[in-house]
Amino acid sequence: MKNKIIIPLIAASAALLTGCATDAHYVATGGTQNIVNVGQINIQDYIQAANAATSDLLAAGTLDKVKTPPAVLYISRIVNNTGQQIDTDLLTKKISIALLNSGKAVTTSTDPAAKGYQQENEFMNDQKGQKTPDFTLSGKIIQLNARAGSTTQATYSFQLSLNDTRTGYQVWEGEKEITKIGTRGTVGF
Amino acid sequence: MKTKIAALFALTLAVAGCHDTMNSVENAQKEGQRNMVSDSRVVSDTGLNRKVNVVGINTAMTPGGFLKVQVELLNRTSSFQHFNYHFEWFDQNGMQVAGSSTAVIPEELAGKEDKYISAVAPLQSAKDFRLKLILGQ
Repeated sequence: MKNKIIIPLIAASAALLTGCATDAHYVATGGTQNIVNVGQINIQDYIQAANAATSDLLAAGTLDKVKTPPAVLYISRIVNNTGQQIDTDLLTKKISIALLNSGKAVTTSTDPAAKGYQQENEFMNDQKGQKTPDFTLSGKIIQLNARAGSTTQATYSFQLSLNDTRTGYQVWEGEKEITKIGTRGTVGF
Repeated sequence: MKTKIAALFALTLAVAGCHDTMNSVENAQKEGQRNMVSDSRVVSDTGLNRKVNVVGINTAMTPGGFLKVQVELLNRTSSFQHFNYHFEWFDQNGMQVAGSSTAVIPEELAGKEDKYISAVAPLQSAKDFRLKLILGQ
């Protein structure tokens, strides 16, 4: 008799617990467990592209060639030539953080309050204007699609240029291409 | 007869499918001298280690004073191998430097291919490194 009551109770508890559980869980950003979409730029793609650009730029030593280090960098326009709506800050912010941490460059602030205080300080202390940027960073993100049967391939090209504001020349260029392949309607890890 | 032809056809397909190996050529008298470093390895995935093997590691300094690491990898198998890797960087006190946990980068090697992967430290204070290799899909 007891068993007749206990067994359904256990079964009901198990069902309740299973019903409450979801498969949602945390994963490391940029790790191997992140979802991979062929038709979309994923977070790991931005991280990879930003890392590649930063490594290339630091290795090139271009930022060291300014008269008064650290170099002042203005983050200019990144043209989005993909079919997606993307926030280019996902790329440029990672680069500017890495360059700032490296001590090789500082970026100009886009904060209106900082700009206001800077102008006020200049006026109060009768100083010359803020140092103009040594370089600007511009670029383009391009998407190239290919299809064979049910297999689709997308290549994302992250192109960046460092422009010398004094000469107008492009003094460094970097490109990182990321290609993803998959069958229609699938996502990978 | 039909069976023999079918078997021969299947064998041809199988042999053609397995040939993912790579041939390469390079100059015998090297101009550059590599600064090889001794390494310490922790192998938890013996399967991956049997397939993708670390041949050697050399380091150099960039003009800006950043540590650059180059690792030579060899695919010991005759088939394509997909793997992921990432570098971690440490300062002179052995502390992991900020922003050093880079993205996991997918890479592939053709059969018997030898390839170099490299990375530049994110900070000048980074003196040591660790490379992690993870089996890909």
